[in-house]
Amino acid sequence: MENHERVGKDYEVTAEGNGTKVILMPCSGIGKVHGLIAREATYAVTDGLAPEGSETLCLALLVSGDEEAQAKIRKADCIAIDGCPKLCAAKNVEMAGGKVIRSIRVVDAFKDHRGAEPGTATTLADDGWTIAREIAADIAGCICAGTGEVK
Amino acid sequence: MADGEVKVGIISCSGEEIPEGTISRLATRRVLELMRPGNTVTICLPLFLAGNEAEQEFARKHPTITVDGCDKLCAKKGTEKYSGPVSAALVVSDILNGECACCARSAKDRSEKDKEAVWMVSEEIAKAVDAILAENDGCGASENGGDGAECACSKPIPGIEVQVDGKSVTIAGLGMIFDHLAESGLAADGSSGDKLLETVRIYHQIEPEEEDDYKAALISAYKTHRRQ
Repeated sequence: MENHERVGKDYEVTAEGNGTKVILMPCSGIGKVHGLIAREATYAVTDGLAPEGSETLCLALLVSGDEEAQAKIRKADCIAIDGCPKLCAAKNVEMAGGKVIRSIRVVDAFKDHRGAEPGTATTLADDGWTIAREIAADIAGCICAGTGEVK
Repeated sequence: MADGEVKVGIISCSGEEIPEGTISRLATRRVLELMRPGNTVTICLPLFLAGNEAEQEFARKHPTITVDGCDKLCAKKGTEKYSGPVSAALVVSDILNGECACCARSAKDRSEKDKEAVWMVSEEIAKAVDAILAENDGCGASENGGDGAECACSKPIPGIEVQVDGKSVTIAGLGMIFDHLAESGLAADGSSGDKLLETVRIYHQIEPEEEDDYKAALISAYKTHRRQ
C-alpha cells in the first residue's frame, strides 16, 4: 500500500523516542475556520502544553520540497491536524517520507459540539477556542514532555 | 463568474513556524474579507501544491499574488512551479523591514504590533490587487460580477456617511478604519480627533481648510460606531 493511501486510517503509535521532538503539522487551511483551529491547537501544544516534546514545521516549506524540512520530517514522528477531509497535512507529510503517527481531523471534533459557533477563518470565537484546546489536550496527552516520546 | 471578470488569486504561505506566516495568513484574509472582497479569492497552498487539479487550473488562468512570510518564498516558488510566473510576489519580512521580532504566531498572544503588521501587509496586498486589476481592465469587468462586488478602484470597500459642515460625505472603508483604531485603544471622545484625521486622510482627501469640520464629523461618527 502506498503511504498516502493510509492517510485518514488508524495509525499505530510506533515512536520509540529517538530524542527528536514530535512534529505537529496543521494544515492551516485558509478558507475555513477548521484550518485556524488546527493551527491554534498546534500552538497550544508547542508553545504551552508540551513545548519540550513538540514543535511545528512550515507545511508550505515541506510541500515545496525543501531538503532540510524533508530530512527533518523523516527523522521525527508527526501528528497531522487537518481541518477538512482532504487531509492535506497528513498526505503531504507522508508524501515527503514522514511518519504520521496520528491523523487528527478537526471536523471530527465538531461531532461533540453540535451547533457550535467556532468563528471564522480569521478569528476564533469561544467555541472555536474550546475545540482547539480540546484537540491540543488530546495531542499533549500522548506526548511525553521532554522526551518527544509518544504514548 | 461572469465572462471577462477578473478575480485575483492570493496565495499565502501561512508558514506555521514563524510569526510572519501568521501575518501573511491574516493579511490575506483581511484583503479577502474587508478590502477587496469582490475581486479576490484564495487558494490553500498545501492543497494547491499537492496537485489538486482544480486549484492549479485556477492559478494558471488568473493573475496571482503570493504572500510569503520569509525569503524562502515557498508560496511563490510553488505557484510558479505549477502555474507559471506570478503577477506579484510579496514578502512579509521585507514589507515590515524585519520589524516583526516581537510578533506572535498564535492569536492568543497577539498584540498591537501584530495588528499593525497585518494592517501594513494587507495594504500592500490591496495595492498589488489594484495594480493587477488596472492592468487587466478589471474595473469594467468586475461590475458584472455574480456576487455583486463592485470595482476595486472606484469603490473598493463599503463606506460610512458622515456630515461635514452640513454636507453628506461618504468615506470608503471608514468602518474598517474605526475598527482598527478601536482595537488600538483609541478613546471615543474629543481627544481622538487628531488621530482620526491623521488616519482617515491617508485614504480620503481632506483639504487643510476642512480639517476642523472633518475632525468634528469623525469624532461624532467614531462615537456612534463604537456604540453600535
